[in-house]
Amino acid sequence: MRKSFRIALAGNPNCGKTCIFNSLTGARQHVGNYPGVTVESKSGSFSLDGVDIELIDLPGVYSLSSSSPEEAVVFDELTKKGIDLIVNVVDSTILQRSMYLTTQLAELHIPMLLAFNMSDDAKKNGLLFDIGKLEKYFGSPIVQTVGNTVNGVKLLKDKLAETLQKLDDHGVPMLSYGADFDEAIGAVAGVIDKLSVERYKHIPARFFAIKLLEKDSCVMKIADFEPAWEEVEVQLRHLRDKHAIEADTFMADRRYAMLSGACRDAISCTQEKRREISDKIDLVLTNKFLGFPLFLAIMYVTFWFTFICADPLMGYIEGFFGWLGGVAGACWSEETLPFLRSLVIDGIIAGVGGVIVFLPNILFLFFAIAILEESGYMSRAAFVMDGVMRRFGLQGKSFVPLVLGFGCTVPAIMATRTIESERDRKITIMVLPLMSCGARLPIYALIIPAFFAQKYQAFTMWLIYLIGVLVALIGARIMKSTLFKGDGEVYLMELPPYRMPTMKSLLLHMWDRGRMYLQKAGTIILLTSIILYICNTYPEKQEFSQDYDVAIAEAQAANELNDLEVAVLEKSGCFDAEAVAQIREERTIAPELLEEDIECGNNILAAAIISKISKGNEEIAALENAQQAEMLEYTVSGRVGKTLEPFFRPIGFDWKITTATIGALAAKEVFVAQMGILYNEGEADEESEGLRAQLVENYTPLQAFCVMLFCLLSIPCLATLAIIKRELNSWKMAVIEAGGLFVLAYVMTFIVYQLGLLFKIGTTMLG
Amino acid sequence: MEEKCCCACKSSSEMSLAELPIGTRATIVGISSKSRGRKKFADIGIVPGTELLIEAHAPFGGLIRVKVMETSMALHRDDAADIIMKETEAANA
Repeated sequence: MRKSFRIALAGNPNCGKTCIFNSLTGARQHVGNYPGVTVESKSGSFSLDGVDIELIDLPGVYSLSSSSPEEAVVFDELTKKGIDLIVNVVDSTILQRSMYLTTQLAELHIPMLLAFNMSDDAKKNGLLFDIGKLEKYFGSPIVQTVGNTVNGVKLLKDKLAETLQKLDDHGVPMLSYGADFDEAIGAVAGVIDKLSVERYKHIPARFFAIKLLEKDSCVMKIADFEPAWEEVEVQLRHLRDKHAIEADTFMADRRYAMLSGACRDAISCTQEKRREISDKIDLVLTNKFLGFPLFLAIMYVTFWFTFICADPLMGYIEGFFGWLGGVAGACWSEETLPFLRSLVIDGIIAGVGGVIVFLPNILFLFFAIAILEESGYMSRAAFVMDGVMRRFGLQGKSFVPLVLGFGCTVPAIMATRTIESERDRKITIMVLPLMSCGARLPIYALIIPAFFAQKYQAFTMWLIYLIGVLVALIGARIMKSTLFKGDGEVYLMELPPYRMPTMKSLLLHMWDRGRMYLQKAGTIILLTSIILYICNTYPEKQEFSQDYDVAIAEAQAANELNDLEVAVLEKSGCFDAEAVAQIREERTIAPELLEEDIECGNNILAAAIISKISKGNEEIAALENAQQAEMLEYTVSGRVGKTLEPFFRPIGFDWKITTATIGALAAKEVFVAQMGILYNEGEADEESEGLRAQLVENYTPLQAFCVMLFCLLSIPCLATLAIIKRELNSWKMAVIEAGGLFVLAYVMTFIVYQLGLLFKIGTTMLG
Repeated sequence: MEEKCCCACKSSSEMSLAELPIGTRATIVGISSKSRGRKKFADIGIVPGTELLIEAHAPFGGLIRVKVMETSMALHRDDAADIIMKETEAANA
């Protein structure tokens, strides 16, 4: 026996194929893309009794024709040489419809194994099969499986091993389209046989004859068969005369007739009990009045799960990177390779750490999404939302990717693959970056508490998200009536019965998406962290406009307290014991002790000392900031920012925000870290009080709002750009998208800033 | 689409899928030749002679949910208007 086989897994959507694929291959999977189209290709490997098996998970299709890119892929994959066996997974609770595909697969005369999946449900529904009869009819062995249990898959493995033993003597299907039709098929097949096309020698001419009679566009495109077209026309005319038929659907008609014949003979039903529970759930979940509120509630729970449950894990990860930075700093002395040391600690560990912190969010979000998808609720959500989305030029299936967009734009764009209509898919992808993604959240979380009074904070956050959604919907509407006019594809969506998802497939799903996020962190963000770090540090300024070190030392000396002054402060009761100890130790009052207003009552002496020291502190801080600013202005970042500042000035950005915004074009996560570095607050995160204080000092609420607006509307990250290129298969579209968003962001921000200046809104501190 | 008849149609019992009320069982008589979806419909079993059950209408209009060969499918009202049906059973029987 041979040592390796290639097996293709084919079946309808929702037949449990992926579940079987996961059970057979486990984690040994390779997910990719078919070249040129946006269909996901999945393959995996496993060994069976010492034989290596490569398993190809074909996309789920209803038919082997060419009415969608998926079907075209399946057609190509199966007509190519090299498939040893087709495993056709069939939902045995709806045999008649599922086997429509089987009739076409059988005509390929590639050895086939039929897996009657969900056989436990079929049994519960009272369906009994005459397996022997069906095996003979389709010329293929049949095994009854239960895809989501170990035992049910074991049966499949055993049968698979057995089938591979005797591949050469597989049966011949007895599929007849009726006398007249078979005659026509025979006539066309005869012509094809004579052509003897080398490429398709391994597939019977009859298969192509049927496809030609159906006017299947995939087969019509094969130039080799062109000489047979004449015969096809003759036969079609002949058939039309005899049976009042319509050319494009008569083969489908015949297949259903064939199946209902076969099923009548081989299937018996002992009771009428089908999917009752599932239908009852739907009475509530897709109810005309309850459907929408329930949908909102389910979305709310999803977000709650994503953000609240992931929170403690984020704390651990943050802690871990803090610890890692500390350990690295301790082990790596400052003398050896100081440049590399700070690059690793301040650039890489802090930069990548800041991104990986969001991994729990991403994983939890995708876990929740996987539950919704695999239980079957997702298609109900699309059903409920379709009417609303259609008003904006989108459709029900656009809704889920748009919701995912609040998490991360990259997987959300990948999720648009479920939208069959090419036009709706394009529009959805184009507006998706406007949904405020998780990476923008830290920017809001840093800015909003700093600039807006407590009672306005939630409102501001809500407003930002709402602006994104509104711009996206209006954009979709405009695109639909300009760029993408005309009729779309026919909309057809299956609502599979509710099923309990298995933990294994949920975890695999979650890991698939999480891995993509980690890849992004490991590549683009790592690279940007390094580049930005270098840009922020070099070239180093050696000569300053004044000798800051001396000036700072002088100011510090002037700010020292003598014993008498310390004693006065100690007695004044202005500070608590801890603060007093610190003052005694440092012989000055540290700035952080003066952050809050100090009540000293009538103690004029103490108040005078405090006022003097606080003035001194300000002087020192001003000197330090001036030095820092001079250093930064000298670096690449500073120069780039300064050069571009005139361009960004009209939207309220100074050169520091400009450099941070440019960095944020690579990945929004970078913004906060960059501002932290520019304001010398070290490893800043969105909770950094020091950075907030600096921001409040330097910017108005209007500017802060403009920063958020600009970040919201411009492209989220380079990875988004790359994924748009991949999904739309065009660099041009990706560049147009990025450029368009930039212009949109600039124009909107410009309008807001200028109007704000004009009406003096938010130009002074609020609250 | 212009629909003038209402009461008269019910007794002659031929109408489009888009017009049937929820709970109706009806058999497909034909699919308009101008329909864009003839092939796609055929692939999931929407061919003349198949019985459909109208299960639900989506909350905000647009989509109709039908049961075809034991499977629930959602399709758009505009496309459903091209599918000509004949009632086989009274509503809510």
